[in-house]
Amino acid sequence: MRLLEYQSKRLFSSVGIKTPRGSVARVEQDAVDAARRLGLPVVLKSQVAVGGRGKAGGIVKVDRESDLSESFRRVKNLAIGGLRPEVILVEEAAPYQKELYVSIVLDRGLRRFILIASAEGGIEVESSGGRLTVPLQDGQVSKESAKELGGKLGLGGASLDDFVDIAVKLSTLSSKIEAVLSEINPLAVLRDGRLVALDAKVDVDDSAIFRHPELAQFSAAESLEAEAAKEGFAFVELDGSLAVIGNGAGLVLSTLDLVVDNGGKPACFLDLGGGASKDRIYAALELVNRFPKASKILLNVFGGITRCTDVALGVREAYEKGVISKPLAARISGAGQEEALQILRGLPVKVYTTIEETLKAAMT
Amino acid sequence: MNPQSLDMLLDSAGLPIIVQGITGKIGSLHTELMLEYGTKVVGGVVPGKGGQSVHGVPVFNTVKEAVAVTSAKASINFVPAAFFFGAAEEAVRSGLKLTVAITEQVPVRDTLKLLKLSEENNATVIGPNTPGVIVPSRTKIGIMPPDPFEKGKVAVFSRSGTLMYEVAYHLSRSGFGQAIALGIGGDPINCTNLIECLDWVHGRKDIEAVVVVGEIGGDVEEKAVEHLSKKGNRKPMVAYVAGRYAPKEKKMGHAGAIILGSYGTAESKIKTFEGAGIPVALRPAEIPVKLGQVLKR
Repeated sequence: MRLLEYQSKRLFSSVGIKTPRGSVARVEQDAVDAARRLGLPVVLKSQVAVGGRGKAGGIVKVDRESDLSESFRRVKNLAIGGLRPEVILVEEAAPYQKELYVSIVLDRGLRRFILIASAEGGIEVESSGGRLTVPLQDGQVSKESAKELGGKLGLGGASLDDFVDIAVKLSTLSSKIEAVLSEINPLAVLRDGRLVALDAKVDVDDSAIFRHPELAQFSAAESLEAEAAKEGFAFVELDGSLAVIGNGAGLVLSTLDLVVDNGGKPACFLDLGGGASKDRIYAALELVNRFPKASKILLNVFGGITRCTDVALGVREAYEKGVISKPLAARISGAGQEEALQILRGLPVKVYTTIEETLKAAMT
Repeated sequence: MNPQSLDMLLDSAGLPIIVQGITGKIGSLHTELMLEYGTKVVGGVVPGKGGQSVHGVPVFNTVKEAVAVTSAKASINFVPAAFFFGAAEEAVRSGLKLTVAITEQVPVRDTLKLLKLSEENNATVIGPNTPGVIVPSRTKIGIMPPDPFEKGKVAVFSRSGTLMYEVAYHLSRSGFGQAIALGIGGDPINCTNLIECLDWVHGRKDIEAVVVVGEIGGDVEEKAVEHLSKKGNRKPMVAYVAGRYAPKEKKMGHAGAIILGSYGTAESKIKTFEGAGIPVALRPAEIPVKLGQVLKR
């Protein structure tokens, strides 16, 4: 679960990592009130969970109160990566002399958490080469290793003390909330040498959320994605018009590739998961049929433990209850496939046992 | 990962196993299906349910007790994520050298703890979030359907479940049976990773060729190719990578199937395989064709 910047900063504050003073604005008046309280200049920051907000125009510095309303409206109405913010973060604009980078992230190759730091923060850090990394023992940063790393970044005095403190606290927070990524970019060095987290990005392990009720307040609003998740489906919205459903993540990914290779454009990815029963097939078809982007549906089931007859019964029920109105092409392969074809006889669905035939039918 | 655990699986006529979580719906169903396939399921473990039996298999309260009575050598774990780590730890600490962890949505920190524990105890854990492992016509410790798999000399290592079945189906149909098909798991951390699988397969004279079924996310395919290149020689190999058209920053069903920036793209993986002279099939049905070319059949 990727948290928004202001949510991540609340967590930072809770462990004592310093962030700029600020507050969240839903409407224009909130922003005006915040600016008066904080004092100008302020920074308006679009709260969307995508990278590159600055470049896209989602982060705007405001020097005069007369500019505030217009800037607020502009940031609020700007879609970044297809997302519009619900709220805007209004923060004091503290002058600083330098930007650093620090994060704690799961390294899949090393199969460990690592601490990453760089003397150059800011938006280009992902492409810059000067990153230093330290593999962590049980995810925890030690004072000694943080001090050594800070020294390599050229820090001293109050800056080094703050760096050590922040790195240790960041690892404590990361372990506590079971984050897979906790990032401060940039970590600003103020004029007096003290360090403050100007940005914050936290991604919590989705599989661990069940044991963190305190994070429930941060979960996203209702969406088709959330509705699908409740059913136990993995759903991802895409740009095209052909809805792709299948059993198993790899199989659905592979089906997307085949669709695009053959000139089609997928509207979504829906993984039914293992043990796709009749009810789950029905629920998935019902959900996807309501998805406005989808004009056609492609179902790809490789039966095994998932019985082909169950799949067919789920499809038939969807027709009987009138929840499918969009053209459906289905590939049903595996044990019981002949019986499944029997069950679907007479229904408007086009059924095949190979994906190649099904694709052809779905495209025409 | 202890390579001897996989040797044990391949070389023993019938490896006795226990099922952790045997009384649950999935555990019970797959106990029945594994027994049907010929897997030697000798016991089940569910705390508090000792003394019961499931499909004729005796249930014990603890792994220790089950091992003492049945001499089981391996475990398959269906215990729900919230209790998964405790159950897996019990299996490793009871001396079992092979655990197949089917459970999905295990917190990654629990997987890391289990990985460390398995290394300290010289044990092998496959998964989590794996369909398991099958030695066709002999034994399956997993949830895969038997039909697509046929006995032979190819090893299949896959990050995905259903796709592994689909690939096996195409291989079998073209006469390429499998010596083993193993799901390394769809999570970001695999307790037995692709590199370890490839190292193990290298020492097996009975395995002629390898099929790697990869997908977007992480860099395990790239790391594995780098590792093979350093070693110099390898078995004939064909790869497949799912997700060429997957969007970035989106988790595609598997917790591990996510592209972050330029990290984890199918393009990078395909380029790496091809750069090392390993042919990449563009769709599952093409895998046996490429394999035939590699083996000059």
